[in-house]
Amino acid sequence: MTDARIIVIGAGPAGLAAAAELARAGLECVLVDQRATVGGAIHRQPAHPSRAIPMSRVAHRRFESLVQGIATPRVQFRGLSHFLGVDGDGFALIEDRTGGRVEKLAAKAIILATGAVEKIRPVQGWELPGVSTAGGMQVMLKETGIAPQGRILLAGNGPLLVALAAQLIRAGNPPLALVEAANPIAKPLAALGLLRHPGLLAEAAGFTFDVLRSGLPWMRGAYLVRIEKAGSALAAVIRQADGQETRIEVDRIAVHDGIRENRIGLPQTNMQGAPIIVHAGDCRQTLGAPAAVADGARAGRQVAALLNGQTLDMANLERQLARQMAAQKRLARIFSPVVSLPPLKDLPDETVICRCEGSTVGSLKALLSVKDGLSGREVKHNGRFAMGNCQGRFCAANTAALMTELRPDMPEAKEADLTGRRWPIRPVSIAALLSAAPAEQTNDHEVRL
Amino acid sequence: MSANTFLWHGREIPFVAGESIAAALTAAGILTFGPDMSGRETRYFCGIGACQNCLVRVDGGVVEACLTAAHTGLVVTPAGGQHD
Repeated sequence: MTDARIIVIGAGPAGLAAAAELARAGLECVLVDQRATVGGAIHRQPAHPSRAIPMSRVAHRRFESLVQGIATPRVQFRGLSHFLGVDGDGFALIEDRTGGRVEKLAAKAIILATGAVEKIRPVQGWELPGVSTAGGMQVMLKETGIAPQGRILLAGNGPLLVALAAQLIRAGNPPLALVEAANPIAKPLAALGLLRHPGLLAEAAGFTFDVLRSGLPWMRGAYLVRIEKAGSALAAVIRQADGQETRIEVDRIAVHDGIRENRIGLPQTNMQGAPIIVHAGDCRQTLGAPAAVADGARAGRQVAALLNGQTLDMANLERQLARQMAAQKRLARIFSPVVSLPPLKDLPDETVICRCEGSTVGSLKALLSVKDGLSGREVKHNGRFAMGNCQGRFCAANTAALMTELRPDMPEAKEADLTGRRWPIRPVSIAALLSAAPAEQTNDHEVRL
Repeated sequence: MSANTFLWHGREIPFVAGESIAAALTAAGILTFGPDMSGRETRYFCGIGACQNCLVRVDGGVVEACLTAAHTGLVVTPAGGQHD
């Protein structure tokens, strides 16, 4: 018989810290990640060690300590495995990509540490090849150690853009321009508040210094209006702080408008008979890597306390979390846009909102033109918004916001109306799913004993 | 086929062991990964498997190019290329 396990989903900072904490409490766990190596997006490992891009000292120490924490037989790492959800019987569905099969694991507890996804403000042309998220460009840089080729433009809002710009400069291919809706260096008082967070300050100051020293055009208070095809390249039309529009031809554009919890579709509440489910790190609240370490440890202790009946001291972890929350609040102030971005309803009708299904601003306008409007569910089913493979991770919030802009007379549309909550949370082949069936019958029987 | 290459439209794409198919295609200057099952153009986007924009077909199965390691001798085709 297979014993019910503790399963940790995601081997980024939160998942690693949670697994280490469980091990410290004497509990075994299975640590699942979609990649072959641990680290998550923040500590994406280079394909070849000689090509690692330099990490800050703080980041390096953090990763070393996380890896040490799971160097125990109590933590079993399963790479190249995708979490598909918790089925109606409470089994965790894990797709083993190497073996091409789905395993159903009986779980006592599941710690979800699936990290963050980026927010993307749709503009015309954001769906074109050559356009990636800033995080996407950054993880590829970490993986290959080589800067993307060609002319690069970074556009959007948030500290990640400055970090990526600095990393591209260091990797030898500075971007042509950095377009930022905020004016982060115009808020020295807010930045001064970061003195209380020396690790974060050192990192931020290093990136900012590199960007300023490089002389690359840092267009603050500006935003991307649209992306066009320009022969085999791309052209970005940018509205500058002075209201003038400018057009820059590039090969690659990285867009980014902040980060959000990666929890669309994840099991949220505890159903009867289902395992204990705890969210940890950025997928609970996006507060960055240092907070994710503390929050992962908190989740590990919480599960250990529930299963072992021990009481574990959380005060220190709660203090660390509160500190990181304060730091993130300051960062958010520093990066609050100084230009008002146009509402989504002003986007041209042909602008794609849902990339997977090709659903546009115009098609949503047409759908909502009926007298009584439509609910989120109806917009999904009739217009295929948030219906595609990404399951709404990149469009559901935008679709809901656009619905509310278009029909302020209707009840406010919610992202959850468009996404729903069900498994699989990732596309999986039918053959792989079918491979799970025999295990279900066996496990079912055993659990009832 | 040469070591540490896979096939994409008849072209040998070199890669570093451990690298993803997406990283190797991108390094070879390939930014569009062909049509997906709905005929929409695919591309590398989020790099973490969340957006499903970089789907390609490997050994008959559809996978995310950003999450799938390149191997010598793989034949990689557009996800939607075989069903139109």
